[in-house]
Amino acid sequence: MPAWIRRAAVSIAKGHRVTLDQMLRRPITSLYPEEPVPHFPGFRSIPVLKANEETGKLNCTACGLCARSCPPQIIFVESVVGDDGRRKQWPAFFNLDLSRCMVCNLCVEACPFDALEMSADNELSAYDVRDLFFNMEELAALWKTAPAVRIAGGQKR
Amino acid sequence: MEKGSEVYTAEEAGRLGREGITEPIVINLGPQHPSTHGVLRLITTLDGETVLKAQPDIGYLHRNWEKIVEGWQYPQIIPFADRNDYISAIFNEWLVCKSVEDALGIELDKRAEVLRTIFAELNRLISHQLWFGTYAMDIGAFTPFVYALRDREWGYALLEKATGARQLYAFFRIGGLRNDVPDGWIEELSQYLDYFEKEAYPQYVDLLTGNEIFIQRSEGVGVVSRDVALAFGATGPVLRGSGVPYDVRKAHPYGVYGEVEFEVPVGEHGDNLDRAMVRMKEMLESVKIIRQCVELLPEEGEVLTSRVPRVLKLPEGNYYTRLESPRGEVGLWVVSTGGLGPYRMKWRAPSFVNLQLLDHMARGEKVADLIAALGTIDIILGEVDR
Repeated sequence: MPAWIRRAAVSIAKGHRVTLDQMLRRPITSLYPEEPVPHFPGFRSIPVLKANEETGKLNCTACGLCARSCPPQIIFVESVVGDDGRRKQWPAFFNLDLSRCMVCNLCVEACPFDALEMSADNELSAYDVRDLFFNMEELAALWKTAPAVRIAGGQKR
Repeated sequence: MEKGSEVYTAEEAGRLGREGITEPIVINLGPQHPSTHGVLRLITTLDGETVLKAQPDIGYLHRNWEKIVEGWQYPQIIPFADRNDYISAIFNEWLVCKSVEDALGIELDKRAEVLRTIFAELNRLISHQLWFGTYAMDIGAFTPFVYALRDREWGYALLEKATGARQLYAFFRIGGLRNDVPDGWIEELSQYLDYFEKEAYPQYVDLLTGNEIFIQRSEGVGVVSRDVALAFGATGPVLRGSGVPYDVRKAHPYGVYGEVEFEVPVGEHGDNLDRAMVRMKEMLESVKIIRQCVELLPEEGEVLTSRVPRVLKLPEGNYYTRLESPRGEVGLWVVSTGGLGPYRMKWRAPSFVNLQLLDHMARGEKVADLIAALGTIDIILGEVDR
């Protein structure tokens, strides 16, 4: 009998020992849609608009720094123009196109007014791409329903 | 006649020693084929089961990366660079950050440098684990794939805890890292390394790389000699498998690689087995490097240095930066005209360069060995096509 046949038989036995050992352990997989998999704190999915907890008003001042820092240019924000023709510190609209969002956190880091946070709600898939276009009210509602974090500037988590 | 669809004449086939067996036939593998690691089309000319020629047809995942980033500012390029080599995204971010930092002379704090090295090596470990699983699948063993993904999951969980994302981290910033690691992260990392070294790696050896069938299947197949590998400009495990001990981490140290001790595993013959074993040994070397980095890690320190100018403008000129990614030397050529963003960026993708060796590897081998050779190159199509 050539030596390699013996070596092959031994190595096959070793492989079977590994699989047999693993077969007797508890499975580590989970049935995802039925059993929700929790995310770790700090998981980021979509930028959402943060509201002041006391007044309930959005922190956003429509300065547009987030829109300028966004690499794929998917944030559309414009401030309210008052009756006197001057711009107010309040967004007229704040739209976000999630279908092109890179979830990079750069808008959150650019915001000087603590108005944006990254939501952990990642179950936002849709059958129609138009459903991934979020307006100001939807983004503010997402902030209330899902946990969100703001991480910027090398801080400790 | 379409590019690359030419078949061998009987005379050419005869030069390969295959005269008069069957008529050469052109067969498409891919672009939608599970064995081609993404959307790669292989135009193969076959003589029966023997490969006469294998021509990769790339471009199915082309996203125009180099043109798009020309209009962007340097910090904005970081998340998009992640999408190049999406299996080991940390290296892409590091490359973009490093090119700007080197050009502007920004010095990082020690803590940031050590953490960057830890993240890179952890990502290399995870990337090689995925390679192990997919290579096993390429040669017909399904079980190791499941084991590799089981172990990779813990590594991804570690990265998610620190960076907030599993695959496309957008974690490095010019001047350091976006945030510090959470409490207890380093301890869990050590647990993971212990688990990998003591439990997972021996299983890999028992299941696949120590297996006699695997060794006979890989030995002497897809041979790339030292000279050919150098002539093609191959880097990474493909080059080291052919016996050239070139590693950017040793040749041009960056991060804290100059302060840690590690070996550069090299192969001997340049066959599939050598390339596979180089990657297996590199996993253990990564574990070794992370262990030393954990000891080097200072308790205090800024992870994002405050010495970064508010407006990042590179002085006019050309800059080339390189890193050792799991697939080889990944380089970035930046041409700056002094603006907020680059005038031109060229990404030197190691997968793209290594893929050119496929035809050389596969000629005269069987079709199944063509797939195995493709597996040992470890291509990522996002990086090949950019």
